[in-house]
Amino acid sequence: MLKVIAACGSGMGSSQIIKMKLSKVFKKLGIDADVYHTNVGDAKSQANNYDVVFCSASLEGQFAGTKAKVIGLKNLLSEQEMTEKIEAADLK
Amino acid sequence: MEILLGIWEFFQNNILTKPQFFIGFIVFVGYALLRKPIYECIAGFIKAVVGYMILMVASSGLVGNFRPVLVGLKDRFDLSAAVIDPYFGQAAAQMSVENIGRSFSMMMMVLLIAFAINILLVLFRKYTKIRTLFITGHVMVQQSSTALWLVLFCFPNLQDPGVVLMLGVLLGTYWSVASNLTVEPVAKLTEGGGFATGHQQMFGIFLVSKLAKRIGNPQKSLENLKLPGFLSIFNENMVATGILMTIFFGAIITILGADLMHQIDKGFSPKQNFAFYIVEKSFNFAVYLTILQLGVRTFVSELTNSFQGISEKLLPGSMPAVDCAATYGFGHPNAVTFGFLFGAFGQFLAILGLIVFQSPILIISGFVPLFFDNATFAVFANRLGGVRAAAILPFCSGIIQVLGGAFAAYYFTTGNFGGWHGNFDWDTLWPAIGVIMNYFQYVGVAIVVVLLLLIPQIIYYRNKDTYFLIAEDYDAYKEVLAKKQGVPVDQVVVD
Repeated sequence: MLKVIAACGSGMGSSQIIKMKLSKVFKKLGIDADVYHTNVGDAKSQANNYDVVFCSASLEGQFAGTKAKVIGLKNLLSEQEMTEKIEAADLK
Repeated sequence: MEILLGIWEFFQNNILTKPQFFIGFIVFVGYALLRKPIYECIAGFIKAVVGYMILMVASSGLVGNFRPVLVGLKDRFDLSAAVIDPYFGQAAAQMSVENIGRSFSMMMMVLLIAFAINILLVLFRKYTKIRTLFITGHVMVQQSSTALWLVLFCFPNLQDPGVVLMLGVLLGTYWSVASNLTVEPVAKLTEGGGFATGHQQMFGIFLVSKLAKRIGNPQKSLENLKLPGFLSIFNENMVATGILMTIFFGAIITILGADLMHQIDKGFSPKQNFAFYIVEKSFNFAVYLTILQLGVRTFVSELTNSFQGISEKLLPGSMPAVDCAATYGFGHPNAVTFGFLFGAFGQFLAILGLIVFQSPILIISGFVPLFFDNATFAVFANRLGGVRAAAILPFCSGIIQVLGGAFAAYYFTTGNFGGWHGNFDWDTLWPAIGVIMNYFQYVGVAIVVVLLLLIPQIIYYRNKDTYFLIAEDYDAYKEVLAKKQGVPVDQVVVD
């Protein structure tokens, strides 16, 4: 099971959107994943317990030095971009 | 018959008028209708109820933490005060509604009716010209709360069903029309990203996208700027709130003085150092805000999920209107920080103005409008007007947020509970709607709804050929533009 964090500034709107879209994409790709959505601060402190962090490209810099993979998204609603980035990062 | 009445009364007393159980009940029924297994329905029910109860604890904590300061200000300077922030605003609205003995459950019914109105307007988009469905759950909760208080303030004698129905129509119209206004700016920024903004500053985005190109030059973009690195700590909600609150409440409590605070705040023990008391008091706001957001996150994620499902099933081809932060990935990271910074300059200047001109209400900057509204404006402004627009427009917005918020918190009396909604549309459009409702009553509501519905018609008649195209197929839209401008598609100018 892939453990995933979706993060945004307040942990309310955007991260929830990322989570909904991601869950769909993972299902399509046949990857078993559990997505948790929260704010940047919380995500930073928990990132090391997760496999990968998804966030807006503008927040990528916040995660410098975390052990988890960090994937910054330009369009939070684009399933195509997510699919490409998941495949490029070779997530399973 | 008597049994039926008894059942209804039981339902009314225990579920309908108890917002936590009402929300849980709706989630349960919704999940059951979606044919989810019974254990998931129960899990959803528990999460919704507990989430709402967390929110109630945090709301009263927030207001309770503020109260001694409010009492102190009233005592010494005959001032009231409000934090302009949607979470403070929501708490203040809830306290105001319950203070006059009305049930806050109406908030949830308003939300559902308004969402249904939005669905209807999109369904009949051939006539209404509405292309967007508002699905940002936490914002819908906040706006339903504040708007509920506005209606109760203007129509104190209106019965519950009337309140819910009328406000449902009004708010649903606003959600539809305002999010629909962001279709063009967002599509152009994201080059056909497939979404619109459904948040708290939609009229603001429209204004910015009209004004930015007149103010600045897109060639002089802020990408070349180097911003100080420490500003990045404001990306964390908890840190930013802690800092903001310490600055503001530090100043206020210092002026009120240790003696007065000892008198009015039992929580301030004689042994505690004054400076540490101030820091603890200020950080308490970060504590309650964090709890509040946890509560909202818990029950709203259930809501947003089902809204998204509904929009995909019922309305293929409609555009989801989502959180404003979804646009940030399309601007330079500098833009977000820049907007926040200049918004803060504007707000601080306006607050100084309030003090100098002895306003009866003091405004305290809240993090959400300061950051999210102004960062959004800067992202849109930078694309069309470069650095200049990205500085000037958020700066102006900061000033407007404080002045509009001060007016609203004073006029609609939520200052008594220390808060006002504070986001751009709620410092401009909504106070105006409130005043119109207050003066012209039902006629005012009708006028507002009609005027709002006219907006998409006007935009449609100005761009008949591309109005739906820009939302449905951005590449085709660019081809049409290219034909009009007489250039190849890759040289087309989208303003």
